[in-house]
Amino acid sequence: MVKNQQSEVSQKKRGYGAKVVAQQPKFPEDRWGVEHLPYPQGVAYIQARWDLCIGCGACEMVCSLSHFGVINRELSRIRIYRYLTPIPKSVQNVCSQCREEERECQKACPVDPPAIYYDDKEFHMTVDMDRCLGHRCAKCQDACPANVPTFYAPEHDCALVCDLCYDSEGGRRPQCVEICPSYCLEFLKPEFPQHLDRVHPDEKAESFSRKLYPLPKDKVQRAPEEIWGGEK
Amino acid sequence: MTATTSNLLEIDLSARKSQVVDITADVQTFLGGRGLGAKLVWDRVPAGTDPLGPDNTLYFGIGPITGFNGAVTTISALSPLTLLYGFSCVNGHFGIEMIYAGYNAGILLTGKADSPVYLYIDDDKVEIRDASDLWGMLNLEAQQQLRNRLTNGLQNQNLAIATIGPAGEHQVRNADICHDFYHHAARLGMGAVMGSKNVKAIVVRGTKQPKYANATKLAELLIAYFQQNRLYKAQMRRWGHSYTMPTRYYASKEGVKNKMLGWHDMCDLSNPVLHEQRYKLWNDSCALCQVGCKTPYMRREPPLGPCAGEIRHDNAGGWNANVLIPGYETQIYLTPLVDNLGLDSEDVSGVVAWMMECYERGIVSRDDLDGIDLTWGNLEAICKLLRKIAYREGIGDILAEGLKFAPAKIGKGSEAYAMTHKGVAITSYELRGALADAISLAMVPVGELHGLGKGRGDPFRVLADSLTVCAFLRPSLNSVFGFSTWGAEMLNAVCGWHLTEEDVNTIAHRLAMIERCVCLREGHVPTQDDTVPDRFFDEVIYTKYGKPLKLDRDDFRKEREKFYLSIGLNKDGIPPKEYLEKLELEFVMPTLEMMGLKLAP
Repeated sequence: MVKNQQSEVSQKKRGYGAKVVAQQPKFPEDRWGVEHLPYPQGVAYIQARWDLCIGCGACEMVCSLSHFGVINRELSRIRIYRYLTPIPKSVQNVCSQCREEERECQKACPVDPPAIYYDDKEFHMTVDMDRCLGHRCAKCQDACPANVPTFYAPEHDCALVCDLCYDSEGGRRPQCVEICPSYCLEFLKPEFPQHLDRVHPDEKAESFSRKLYPLPKDKVQRAPEEIWGGEK
Repeated sequence: MTATTSNLLEIDLSARKSQVVDITADVQTFLGGRGLGAKLVWDRVPAGTDPLGPDNTLYFGIGPITGFNGAVTTISALSPLTLLYGFSCVNGHFGIEMIYAGYNAGILLTGKADSPVYLYIDDDKVEIRDASDLWGMLNLEAQQQLRNRLTNGLQNQNLAIATIGPAGEHQVRNADICHDFYHHAARLGMGAVMGSKNVKAIVVRGTKQPKYANATKLAELLIAYFQQNRLYKAQMRRWGHSYTMPTRYYASKEGVKNKMLGWHDMCDLSNPVLHEQRYKLWNDSCALCQVGCKTPYMRREPPLGPCAGEIRHDNAGGWNANVLIPGYETQIYLTPLVDNLGLDSEDVSGVVAWMMECYERGIVSRDDLDGIDLTWGNLEAICKLLRKIAYREGIGDILAEGLKFAPAKIGKGSEAYAMTHKGVAITSYELRGALADAISLAMVPVGELHGLGKGRGDPFRVLADSLTVCAFLRPSLNSVFGFSTWGAEMLNAVCGWHLTEEDVNTIAHRLAMIERCVCLREGHVPTQDDTVPDRFFDEVIYTKYGKPLKLDRDDFRKEREKFYLSIGLNKDGIPPKEYLEKLELEFVMPTLEMMGLKLAP
């Protein structure tokens, strides 16, 4: 157990609503399968396999639970969006912890020094809650090509970005990755520049539309008259 | 830990007004969804009301725990198809949006709009908007239009839309309500009720904090379920729900050629393995469900392709061998056609199968069918006939009345070939496979509704529908927690009540009983109506391996009596006074007694 050790104490400190634990294997020596991949050290981010997302929203549920102790998808740092492509498809959107040159949100922040910034020691984005100007500013959201930072004005008017469930004792256990029932989310070190993975949900949905070529967005078949002839 | 309140959004379409009503007391006794829907019909709809008139109500019901574990929206009204209580379940993301919009007891539509409208509900904002330009559109077209019009960036990308198709607009008695293209509240003609109210669509978007009493306990339950249930997903997720079909064909539990045969070579063409490998696109799930049993398919090759659709037991079972259509490959074309027209795929397949048999026997001629050559398995003819039904053209106007009224209009002995239970078509199920199946199907007071195993008449199925838990999750919840225990703990965590397992069992029986009482009030006679067509008793079918199957009338009657007694009714299927008092349903007694029913043990 090299990876992801997180003590009970630190979880309590963070106010975790509940603890998600990876499923235990039947035989401890058989540690194979996606859920037993060792977590990376250093720079890493949550990668998603778009086609595997089933849109259940479990990631949103545990995210809001682990950070705020409530169930409210609007307070989640990972978001699910639903499209009619025309076949319904859900795509997820989460921060890809971009490298410095590509970090548009940090560059766009009007506060000096930026209220949204990359924590170089702990390798994740952070938001300074005291200095963030909230949803009325939202410059980071506009600047991010994937529209990742979100705001929930009624309860937490401050940019919400993924912090990889980091705690002060060095444990990193992204809760969404651990609960995802379809193994759509993976916590890995970047294999290519992160911004290539930073795709706007609209664009992700568009790629699924292309998979359905040549169907247009509002039809799923040719009309019977086109196949067999006859009046409409 | 404070108890949460339950808010019902009541929209009066005639007066174009809406109000939020606190119905916490009703929710405590009847939970929500199917059970509360029956109570609302009992309270608000007078006996003998025309289901397609303005006095009927339409309830988009959710339960206290919807949005946490359970995504079902149960839509209920007086059914135009059976003239009894009617409800229909739709999964997807509609229920969770209502919870997030703050209406945790659902939405009730009353009255009738004077012109086509759609409802736009965004948190506290409730608007009745003009829909004359959407009227006449197919389901998918209307939903895409509304999405294009109403979404504005990612902020409200997740709005949930429910629409009716042309069939609902023309008040076809088995029309459905469609959500997200392939989620359908199909059964018992809820779309016709929505159409009769001139409502084309309902759009809901919610961004509020959902209400619950005990976050820690709730999270514990949800996460335990997600973890322990990971393995359950395997079959459902791989093949979708259509994977049950081959097994059922081989046991002769699936209708073949309008229930004339027990096996046909075509049954082997419903092959989920080939289907998955050739056509499957991806998986999709409903809100907070880890299974993801929705498996959309796409077929590219001509002549039917390109086409895409979602096939499951419910919409495939009635069509494939029942009308001798060759397997899933053809179904991919037919299913979206029916869905888009807004017809109940299951019920209308029964109507078509019945017409095919009448055509084969010469009861209806080609002229009667407006020149359609309705031979078995003729896909072109089926498509033409479906269009006629949805738009009520020619013969379609008669067939749109459903199997309660249409056989009498056609006459000439065609009634004997209508495979129906209280007016609802028996489509996918072949009842000679097992007596238990026949009983559980016949005992559903509202009409045939996926009656196998523990049928929809079973109190715990009513409980599941009222808690708005998907029928596919119930077995796994049962194995992880025990269903009643889980129900009690979940209700306590969300609502802040103090229920025990016993209380939940009582509630289950109460919910099943109020539904029965509404049906009794609308003229349901148990000993007469709780039966299945004569064909199942008189004609023998043979399984693939030559085993003869037939139902026996005496056995059926005995088993039926046993079932009545097991759920607290007397042996004529009437609830005794003492039992109603025990379930705190005293308010139904005067009405039932006035109708001349003897509430004796």
